[in-house]
Amino acid sequence: MANEDSADVIVVGTGIVGCLVAEQMLDKGLSVLMLEAGPRVDRWRIVENYRNLPPTLRLHFDAPYPPKAWAPHLESYSDGAAAEYLQLEGPNARAYRQGYVRYAGGATWHWAGICWRLTPQDMRLKSLYGVGRDSPFDYDTLEPYYTRAEYAIGVCGPSDPALQWPPIRSKPYPMGPLPFGPGAQRFTDAAARIGLKNVPSAQARNSRIAYDGRPPCCGNNNCIPVCPIAAKYDAATALPKIEAKGGRIRANAVAYRVETGPKNAIEAVHYFDPDKISHRVTGKMFVLACNGIETPKLLLLSRDERNPKGVANSSDQLGRNMMDQPKLVAELTLAEPMWTGVGPVQGSSIMQTSQGEFRGRHGGALFRFNNMARSTFGGVAAVRKGLVGKALDAEIRRLSACTAEIAIEHELLPDPNNRLTLSDKKDWLGINKPNIYYDVGDYVRRCAQEYSVPLVRKLAAELGAVDTQVSTVFTNSDHIMGGMIMGANPTDSVVDPDCRAHDHPNLFLPGGGAMTTSGCGNSTLTMAALALKAGDAVIDQARRG
Amino acid sequence: MTHSHRDDAPAEFSLFRRKILIGGGVILGSLAATPIATIAADSAESTYPNQFLEISALLIPHRLDRDVGLRLAAALRMKDPTFEAHVSGLIHIAKQKNAKIVEDFFPDVPDGPLKDAALLIVSAWYLGVIVDASDAEVFAYELALMYQPTIDVMTIPSYAISGPNGWTSQAPPLSEIPSF
Repeated sequence: MANEDSADVIVVGTGIVGCLVAEQMLDKGLSVLMLEAGPRVDRWRIVENYRNLPPTLRLHFDAPYPPKAWAPHLESYSDGAAAEYLQLEGPNARAYRQGYVRYAGGATWHWAGICWRLTPQDMRLKSLYGVGRDSPFDYDTLEPYYTRAEYAIGVCGPSDPALQWPPIRSKPYPMGPLPFGPGAQRFTDAAARIGLKNVPSAQARNSRIAYDGRPPCCGNNNCIPVCPIAAKYDAATALPKIEAKGGRIRANAVAYRVETGPKNAIEAVHYFDPDKISHRVTGKMFVLACNGIETPKLLLLSRDERNPKGVANSSDQLGRNMMDQPKLVAELTLAEPMWTGVGPVQGSSIMQTSQGEFRGRHGGALFRFNNMARSTFGGVAAVRKGLVGKALDAEIRRLSACTAEIAIEHELLPDPNNRLTLSDKKDWLGINKPNIYYDVGDYVRRCAQEYSVPLVRKLAAELGAVDTQVSTVFTNSDHIMGGMIMGANPTDSVVDPDCRAHDHPNLFLPGGGAMTTSGCGNSTLTMAALALKAGDAVIDQARRG
Repeated sequence: MTHSHRDDAPAEFSLFRRKILIGGGVILGSLAATPIATIAADSAESTYPNQFLEISALLIPHRLDRDVGLRLAAALRMKDPTFEAHVSGLIHIAKQKNAKIVEDFFPDVPDGPLKDAALLIVSAWYLGVIVDASDAEVFAYELALMYQPTIDVMTIPSYAISGPNGWTSQAPPLSEIPSF
């Protein structure tokens, strides 16, 4: 049925989820048309944009990705700029300043590449600890999809089960682990002295060898905001492969309405081009993979007579249960050098602290030594002191080497009050901006007070910190989850265990929005696994007609 | 479909911010209107660019890139017409002290415009910008000196200093500052 404006499968969004689904469809002989709200750019341009940023702005990983007028995303360089697009409210509004870019390739352009899995316990929170929700399927059901996702995007990790998280795997990682730099090793040693295990991250970064046409990591230490050599998987690397397989990608195409038919099946997606001209594309199956904010926004925008609360929203759960891992950061000054900037920007974490019987009372937490080179921080801080000559060089070296940052990312429970709705404010195209109410809740606050902050202070002391400043305001981790929550019961969830909308048989909403729990680890691999699981269901459904 | 908004279209390969490339150097933003040939011609009549390079070498005990220096000189004078006089004033103090390195004369630079100018020159060479603000032009990235005191360990972000898995957890002592 493929013609210019139709395909077997319409995929909205060209991030990791959309690209994995699209490739899967194409491999099975289905035609695919992808819509992407933002522009399609080459890697060199992002790298040049980054290098042409003034030093302090280089810390804002969205800065090399200026949004197009028709596809706005949050810009973090100032509070004023950050308030332009996402409309945030509630006690922890600051903690939902989600960093994603509306570019072809999506947020994997600037992700760290970290690929933690959920644990079996993460998926049974309600049964085990009486909080949150259970996943509608168990870890064993998801495990094959995790493995497929790891091989699809190229994940490296340790072969020693004692260093794996969680050590429940059907196949080894496709590549071995990346080496630690000096900082990660010192962090690991200090953690071990107080009984904590810092383990190498599973990472979508090529370790030692080329993988899937991409080169091995050479430690450019710029995974965030862009890997200059594509050693880190990002979905931008998938776009030419999709086109080579016959997929079509339409950039600068801003989906604004999903059209339903008489039987409430999806019939079309409408989008605006940059000239504000509307287009309509049709298909048999529809996969919306615009991320956990843009997808609920699009579905709410699409309300019609059959679906007065929005498409896929008979449960009234669409846009609710918005999750992330609220982050606190400990800034350390040490007597001895720690050293960052050797190897990737992230490469390990303490994960055991995400699990425990305490989860009936408070959430778990992940502790991560951030390995971004601190030379920019050291340089700017030393220059501002008005030093010159040898004193300036020595101070840059000291501040760069003898300071460190530990991120604490907290487990959050799904709460229907944490809700995305449509703001009255409109964007350049006249589309409602998203409005999100956010409260991290007592589950997170208790964790910080009773568990994570005391523990990070203990870690800092063991590292030899002479000064430790722990932030008191929760910030975003950019892991958007929950807004199309998954479940077996159509009355309290948006999608079924295959990420199919309960209300619409040919509409799939895979990705972080379907997740029932945040866990403490980065969400991308779970999103990818859910994408592949949904893809299998799409193919199966297409075969059955 | 129109391709007027495609960012990967060959017709749009004109460089976005970097407008002119000369001798491996790059002229940015508003400075693009001042070709480097003009600065070179000026230098025959005016000593300012050379004076800027001279005072830079006295303020900063490291190898300095001439192209970066000429661009900074032009931009600083454009930003502040009195900057040229400050450069002359700083050179005068340095010569009075028969200075070879910054420590020889910096304590004699009085607080106020002269010291501010000296610190601005140092800051610009180290940070690669004249002001560290969101719209600032970047004069040097990999040549910004702030990366050099740790270059024996830390990567200049986006540049690799080793090969595949070619790094270790070893690091030299803090006291061994690299020569640059």
